[in-house]
Amino acid sequence: MLSENQMENRIIPYKMLLKALSSTQELVERILPENGIPSLRIGLKYIKSVLENTIQKAREGLPIIGYHFALPAEYLSCFDCVPICIEGTSYFLATLLLGGVENYYDLIGNWGHPFHTCTSQKGTMGMTLEDLFRFDAIITPSAPCDSTCGSYGYFKYAKKFPTVIADTPFIHEKKSQIYYADEIKRSLIDIGKIINQEPDFEKLRYHVEIENQVLHKKTEIFELIKSTPSPIENMFNPVSAAATIFISGTPENLSFYDEMLNITKKRYKEKSHHGGEEHIRTIWPYMLTFFDISFCEWLDRELGLSILMDIFNYNFFEPINTKSDLNELFLGMSKKAMGFPMVKQSTDFYYPIIDDCIQMAQDYDVDCFIYTQSLACKQFGSIPTILREALKDELGIPMLIIEFDVGDARMTSIKKFKEKINLFVQTLL
Amino acid sequence: MHLKDDPFLNVSNSISNSYIEDWQALNKKIIGYYCTYIPEELLHAAGILPYRIRATGNKDTELADTYMVRFTCSFVRSTLDLALKGAYNFMDGFLICNSCDHSRRMFEIFDLKVFNKEKINKKINSFYLSIPHIITEEGFNWYLKEIEELREKLEVTYNCEITDDVLNHSLDIYNQNRDLLKKLHELQIQEFPKITGTEALQISMANASVPKEIANEELKRILNDLELKEGMDVSSKKRIINVGSVVDNIDFIQLIENSGTFVASDFICFGTRNFHDTIDFDYSKEPLKNLTKRLYYRISCPRMMDDHENRLKFLKEEIKNANIDGVILQRINNCDLHGCDNMLFTHELKELDIPVLNIDRESYQADTTRLQTRIEAFIEMIR
Ligand code: SF4
Ligand code: SF4
Repeated sequence: MLSENQMENRIIPYKMLLKALSSTQELVERILPENGIPSLRIGLKYIKSVLENTIQKAREGLPIIGYHFALPAEYLSCFDCVPICIEGTSYFLATLLLGGVENYYDLIGNWGHPFHTCTSQKGTMGMTLEDLFRFDAIITPSAPCDSTCGSYGYFKYAKKFPTVIADTPFIHEKKSQIYYADEIKRSLIDIGKIINQEPDFEKLRYHVEIENQVLHKKTEIFELIKSTPSPIENMFNPVSAAATIFISGTPENLSFYDEMLNITKKRYKEKSHHGGEEHIRTIWPYMLTFFDISFCEWLDRELGLSILMDIFNYNFFEPINTKSDLNELFLGMSKKAMGFPMVKQSTDFYYPIIDDCIQMAQDYDVDCFIYTQSLACKQFGSIPTILREALKDELGIPMLIIEFDVGDARMTSIKKFKEKINLFVQTLL
Repeated sequence: MHLKDDPFLNVSNSISNSYIEDWQALNKKIIGYYCTYIPEELLHAAGILPYRIRATGNKDTELADTYMVRFTCSFVRSTLDLALKGAYNFMDGFLICNSCDHSRRMFEIFDLKVFNKEKINKKINSFYLSIPHIITEEGFNWYLKEIEELREKLEVTYNCEITDDVLNHSLDIYNQNRDLLKKLHELQIQEFPKITGTEALQISMANASVPKEIANEELKRILNDLELKEGMDVSSKKRIINVGSVVDNIDFIQLIENSGTFVASDFICFGTRNFHDTIDFDYSKEPLKNLTKRLYYRISCPRMMDDHENRLKFLKEEIKNANIDGVILQRINNCDLHGCDNMLFTHELKELDIPVLNIDRESYQADTTRLQTRIEAFIEMIR
């Protein structure tokens, strides 16, 4: 019989995360003025609450289930378990720990993992080499990328964590949604068998419903962001991404978006803008850096550049019918999961991405696009030039491409990153 | 005449060849593809020549680099480069599947940038297959449905009827082809081999570039010739198996064989992965289902997320069958799928005390000295 402490130590990185988050929160509370970067303050509060709850569940001895970020976290709410986001752990720790998580990338790299795979998985892989996570089961979709397909083999075959894979069809058609609905259901049942629990689909409905409400609020926020100046600070983007990955399906997530919506509405009415005048409005069709999110503030304050949308926040779906039968419920869940950030882009041809970008550029009255091309994301590797050409031809809007690694500061230093943006922006002003 | 100078093997040295020209002179169609997971037999049954896209001999990727970032696979970039230069203008269509992130995106790029109307004066048809990433009954049914839909699309596009009889005939031709390749493989893995690793690769590439009926005749001829030939004494060399990313350049295998080794076998898609299959079934009934079965349940590539154990099993068996002294695990830089599978193999084989060299390379290897030194050091280590 393991002690409570030993139980908790099955998820040491979450304890590290909680510690880092608590100190960041303390700093934010002490240093920032009452109305400074509200998304950070509010986000930290709610994510912290969920993390505490997660650690408590681990202490109680509930099974630890690792999940891929591309499987909406609320889908695991049908179990009494400790849900751990594999990708979120790497990136959130990269954001919050002073020294980042490069040492874990190196650990798994030295073990033989190819350098060009995704740091979102590499970090957690490195942590499991040191036995910092003891997963009872892992669940992942086969989307969105080769990195996922390759890296999860390590968990399954080298670490021997029972790993359940929900096969995601790589084409957006009605038949795919039906197939994937069955795959999600089968995978949950398989996970249940591994951890000796019957999935409680009634409980699942409740948490899926919470996300329907989140969607409603998020959609409202993004409607307001279309106005000039943007009523929300850049920091909202990474914090919202973290909320999507870590706390979706929880009442805390709903409260986060609720508070953010109120602030957005207030600012919209007052036509106020965070950090000074807004000069440039941008869309980031891919991600921001996670190894240093301070640049969000720098963009707001130094350049007056707003990030109106990024890939993580481009996450809108048809509300799921939670009152229906199970088939309908899973079909809704399938549609949502196939439209999840990165799965949406990777399981379809890129013509719709280009069309969406052009539409968004118009809707959000955008001056330019900034495309961060991550080393790991090969499915995006042939899009930038075509997208740049399309934006230029259709709307005369320029696009900057920066090659980087989302989670590894050593590949593109933040100084270089800022320099590139600065130079690009100068050409626009 | 050395086998390596055989006119059939020479087909592998260039992108196009005289068989293709003869084929097109008869007004027949050619469809390009990248992956061993596509149903070649179905194209054959539609009267189409399936041509496996490769980048043999291409040394730079300047044109392709405009459209694909440098973090992508240099093999795929190299094929795109050739395509942009017009080397694949003989194709009438292309069939892409979600093998890997790099090659899958060729659907859009070929569509938008290679075969757009200004550049080429004929209609190019594009087809796409979504293939499961795991091996389950549901996955099989999905794959079968995709292949059924492809059959319909081919029939409509090319105004033909792919009957079960026609398809059975194509399955026969392809079975013969695989059997012949297997026989040749036997001659490669034996104690006194009759073909080298370099020649085996040439045969495989040529085989994927010409009509199968012709390939079968050529393979039979080569097998007959080889029967009269003495086996080579390779006892002073270390026997190697080459595992990993696609190899479509004989220079790479030659480099390995010039470093004191004999490449006795492989686990690559221009090689055993293409013709090795252990499924025995009755081809006469439900040909589409049988075709799908072979494709789905044959020895997999790392795109299949849940089949690593079978790949390891195959590798261990092949190491035994071909009396292998050392394993070269190679990946083209940025190939996540083979890179990750190779990582697992490295640990698993080391546990079995099998010498392993894990290398990364580019599709066209300019920097041969570094590679050769590493291979030579590896051979020294085995001694
Ligand atoms: S960031 Fe890209 S490479 Fe990483 S998990 Fe997501 S899709 Fe895959
Ligand atoms: S070598 Fe790897 S990345 Fe390149 S085409 Fe093959 S599987 Fe794809």
